[in-house]
Amino acid sequence: MDVFFNQAFAGLSMASILLMVALGLAIIYGAMGVINLAHGEFVMLGAYSAWLLQSYLGLGILASLPLIFLMVGLIGLAVERGVVRWLYHRPLDTILATWGIGIVLQQLVRMGVGSDSRYVARPTILDGNVAIGGVVMSNYRIFLVFFSLSVLAATWYLLTRTEFGTKLRAVIQNKEISECYGIRTDRIYALAFAYGAGLAGIAGALVTPLVSVTPGMGTYLVVDAFLVVIVGGVGSLLGTAVASGLVGEATALFSFLMNDTLGRVAVLLAIIMLIRFKPQGLFPDKVRR
Amino acid sequence: MAQLELQGLSVQFGGLRAVDGLDLSLEQGELRCLLGPNGAGKSTTLDLICGRTTPTGGAILFDGRDMTRLPVFKRARVGIGRKFQTPTVFRELTVVENLEIARSARPGVLSSLTVFRSRLQGRMREVLDLVELGDELHTKAGNLSHGQMQWLEIAMLLMQDARLILMDEPTAGMTIQETRKTGEIFNSLKGSHTMIVVEHDMSFVRQIAETVTVMDQGGLLAQGSIEEVENDPAVREAYLGDGGNGHA
Amino acid sequence: MNRNFSFDCIGYALFALLLLVVVPWGLGFDGFELNTFARYLTLGMVAMALALSWGCAGILNLGQAATFGLGAYIMAMHLKLKASVNMPDGMPDFMGWTNVESLPWFWEPFHSLPVTIAAGLLVPAAVAAVMGIFMFRGRITGVFVAIITLAFLVAIQLVFVEEQRYTGGENGLTGLAPLELFGWTADNYSLSFYYFVAGCLICALVLALALVRSKVGLVLRAIKENPDRVRFFGYDVARYETLAFCASAAIAGWAGMLYVLVLEFASPTYMGVPFSLAIVIWCAVGGRDSLVAAALGGIIVNMLEGRLSDLFVDGWTLFLGMLFILVVLVMPRGLFGVFHGALARVIAFYRQARLERRESLAISRSVVSGTHDKGGR
Repeated sequence: MDVFFNQAFAGLSMASILLMVALGLAIIYGAMGVINLAHGEFVMLGAYSAWLLQSYLGLGILASLPLIFLMVGLIGLAVERGVVRWLYHRPLDTILATWGIGIVLQQLVRMGVGSDSRYVARPTILDGNVAIGGVVMSNYRIFLVFFSLSVLAATWYLLTRTEFGTKLRAVIQNKEISECYGIRTDRIYALAFAYGAGLAGIAGALVTPLVSVTPGMGTYLVVDAFLVVIVGGVGSLLGTAVASGLVGEATALFSFLMNDTLGRVAVLLAIIMLIRFKPQGLFPDKVRR
Repeated sequence: MAQLELQGLSVQFGGLRAVDGLDLSLEQGELRCLLGPNGAGKSTTLDLICGRTTPTGGAILFDGRDMTRLPVFKRARVGIGRKFQTPTVFRELTVVENLEIARSARPGVLSSLTVFRSRLQGRMREVLDLVELGDELHTKAGNLSHGQMQWLEIAMLLMQDARLILMDEPTAGMTIQETRKTGEIFNSLKGSHTMIVVEHDMSFVRQIAETVTVMDQGGLLAQGSIEEVENDPAVREAYLGDGGNGHA
Repeated sequence: MNRNFSFDCIGYALFALLLLVVVPWGLGFDGFELNTFARYLTLGMVAMALALSWGCAGILNLGQAATFGLGAYIMAMHLKLKASVNMPDGMPDFMGWTNVESLPWFWEPFHSLPVTIAAGLLVPAAVAAVMGIFMFRGRITGVFVAIITLAFLVAIQLVFVEEQRYTGGENGLTGLAPLELFGWTADNYSLSFYYFVAGCLICALVLALALVRSKVGLVLRAIKENPDRVRFFGYDVARYETLAFCASAAIAGWAGMLYVLVLEFASPTYMGVPFSLAIVIWCAVGGRDSLVAAALGGIIVNMLEGRLSDLFVDGWTLFLGMLFILVVLVMPRGLFGVFHGALARVIAFYRQARLERRESLAISRSVVSGTHDKGGR
């Protein structure tokens, strides 16, 4: 039984990381229909920022989060203004262009700091474990679960309770009419993109104690996160959250039943099935363009 | 026996009964005009017959065969063709290519693999002459005028040689001369093709129609010759009473 | 249609001339250079395969590397068995290391070369057929096709890496014997081998062109624009899309087989996401609307990579990424789009000039003769 709960917690922990990566992607895809394959590189940049700030300024991960959010958000803003904004009417082409951006960002990092793995220390206050019976949970992973839920809540608040959110939702539903009411859609898009990128940066910083940081770390993360967004349903934060939980737990379960790799394969095949039979996702957005 | 028979056909969208227990039967070679106020369910009826919408009740029989659950492409192969309200042609393809797509007597993948050239003789030439697009053979359909696009779509239906042709406002956006010409074409198709035409232009209806069916609120309101229908009190009520913005 | 056809013929003839005469001459018949160029040709071939589904039918397959990799592994299995004849039970060496008892049943058929070649084409095609029926019967299009094929690619690569006992895992299949075809031994650094690869590419191009120029290609273009309307003419859209998808997969498998002959090993990186998206890049750079252009795109980008990565080891990838962003932004139709646009403008200019000359001639003649004979002829 303990094995089961340990595995379930591992799934939850994975889900929390997926959720943070996927949230940014969900906003960018949901709002603009842009399939941002550079999102994995935003995560990677967040991870490297955490490493830089810790190694050179001695800042801990938690202390540097706001700074990382801003830094990666600004890079996202530059990417949107420089490239993505020209492609809003060609959604499939955004796959190609953002992949190119990903290559460039990866290579810049590789040239700047090399391609060796980097490690970032966990915040000391979150050292240690909580043990309930035979179930051992690391404090840091527990923290991640709660942190990802609060990021979800903050995003929900931003989208539904602020002026920016209202405008964004108006633009998502009808760009032309929103423009007629004086909403500057290009500015809204740019901000939404930057926010999504910033979230990716935070996610990247927070995973550094768990994985090794390399320039290529984002490539497969973005595929997973994108599958989560599609499974959840475009434009649905709840869907993204539920899908992260499902994918995380399913991966843990299948890995337990088979092995890590085949578990992942099984989850991928299940996701393919889901997309095939429910392309609008688990929580389809009822009004969309 | 009737060629097309609708038996108690119904479809419901959410709470709305768009078509509600419609019975209709058409003889082979007949031209039937479908009239009715906005929202009466005329276009939906055409959608149901061609398979674009699946009915929630009732049956569609074509040549006595039940088609109610058949997918679109199979109905097309049986001989049901459809013209849409706004001209729906392949804008990136040339006129000839559009007609070649419409020449679909053998729509299978394997037979398509053996066709490399559009034959401009025979049926293709006749149809081109009929709709006067002979000079635009290699023009992209997207570059044609609105009227020419309507013609092209009609030509495609002739090319398809559908036995039952469903037309949704075929003369929309046409000039008076073009409309009259269209009427002549339709009249010449009577007997060989069965047609259902949804139309608001009454002078056009007078030019082509023998029997007229009037729909209202998803059901059959009246049926008969134009004179009979026009003098029908129920029809007058439907047009002038609640839905009335005077199409007739 | 006829003018297009003659353009095709000219383009293909020039391309064949380039591959068969200019390139070997330009490379000075040097074995190493020829081998490198043969590699570019196989990559051009897989880019062309993608153009067949993406450009022609609008199916963006982000998992093209999966079918390429399948072809590669199938050929490598045959060559591995050939290299292992002197091993105990004729088993490949890596199986011995991982304690596999006897040769697995799915390795057995690849003792035979004809079976291998047939399988290298048919297995990718069959996989594509299953995927195609699965997706297109459900009317899955656009982004969703891209995502499903991408997820499939990741899954299949994971399996190949995981099943080390049967596939060689991360290392892939190495230590392969050379191919023997009708008594000819393929020496991958020879001129004859280069011609073999070039011949395969030209052959595949001609076959693909036949598909595109037949009515199937026309129906596919119509489907790309408006699949619903095509259904109303009685075409089974899913079947046409599946055919394009299968043909593309078969050619990709073919290219994969050749790639193994060129490099003499098969690796799971052939099925990686980076490689698969690189194929999309080549196709887009060359121009997805034309098969030859897509093949050229594959050849040119890889040639640039070969030359530039010697000069700037790191900078090359950066350059590739930027090139790609630029292509998407500035020339969405690739090099072919630029070339095609320029050609159309030149033709229009000459036609206009000829028309004006004829008109001015006609006017001057009518002035001379005092008639209003406008045609002049």
